[in-house]
Amino acid sequence: MTQSDPGRLGWWARLKRPSAKHSVLALAAVGFVGGIVFWGAFNTGMEATNTLQFCVSCHEMRDTVYQEYQYTIHYSNRTGVRAICSDCHVPKDWTHKLIRKIKASGEVWGKITGSIDTKEKFEAKRLELAQHEWERMKARDSIECRNCHSFEAMSPELQKKTPYKKHMEAKAAGKSCIDCHQGIAHKLPKGYKKPGTDDEEE
Amino acid sequence: MKYQSRMIAMASMAAFALAGFSPAALALDVEAAKDLAEQNNCKQCHGIKKDKDGPSFLKTAEKYRGKANAEDEIVKHLTSGKKVKLADGSEENHKIVKTMPPNDMAQIKNLAQYILSTQP
Repeated sequence: MTQSDPGRLGWWARLKRPSAKHSVLALAAVGFVGGIVFWGAFNTGMEATNTLQFCVSCHEMRDTVYQEYQYTIHYSNRTGVRAICSDCHVPKDWTHKLIRKIKASGEVWGKITGSIDTKEKFEAKRLELAQHEWERMKARDSIECRNCHSFEAMSPELQKKTPYKKHMEAKAAGKSCIDCHQGIAHKLPKGYKKPGTDDEEE
Repeated sequence: MKYQSRMIAMASMAAFALAGFSPAALALDVEAAKDLAEQNNCKQCHGIKKDKDGPSFLKTAEKYRGKANAEDEIVKHLTSGKKVKLADGSEENHKIVKTMPPNDMAQIKNLAQYILSTQP
């Protein structure tokens, strides 16, 4: 087998074989441009899955949590700032975003098998799904909340006294946003009791 | 005579039903009220029987129980954001209870009834 007989080479050997025709510059230029095109397309595709329209394109989200979210302050408020699904549920940094997207393939499987394809099924699974998301948020110290909110930016003059006191206590105790703020953009699972609010009735 | 006594019995039953089971009383949905209280973090400041920054539900129930305008007073408290005195003596606007869909008075009234129903 010689290099002058390329027709008999396997595909891997062909790939490894140095180019006899093209210059290194031409190959580098094609690789560079191709890399930009691939990277751009990949990122554009990934960003497309981060839009509100994409998230509510499935009825599982559109008919349940999306309906509730529209009544919350993260959807409509005095200042016109909106946090969409991905702002809270998808990490901003590339590596963690990619990991989240890969994990989201499990949701595609759920869609195919119809695990929450009716409101009743969704409600039955809401606590489990919510707990997964709360655990994910807790594990990263509620980074998606803290992209916009921080203890340091809370004004003792502008924030109500009680929430300010609770926030400072939470900060001192090393708590994360999601430890207290559950169900802020969606209904809490039926019968769910937030930690720390249990009292003598239980 | 027999007919008359039957009529009286039926009228009594109807009166009893109206007095004891008014539409408002029938509407109390304890689980829905508890869920709304949880969603609005009521229990951060109010215990069921224990005072926190605000009075317990029991204390509120005992304050208003038997009063004709009890439900209206509590509804006003939950929806107007009026100034309230906290346990430490300071004053603050009370949180306005939010419902889904917004301003659903049936849900607010149900919560008011739930608070009023608290027993020692």
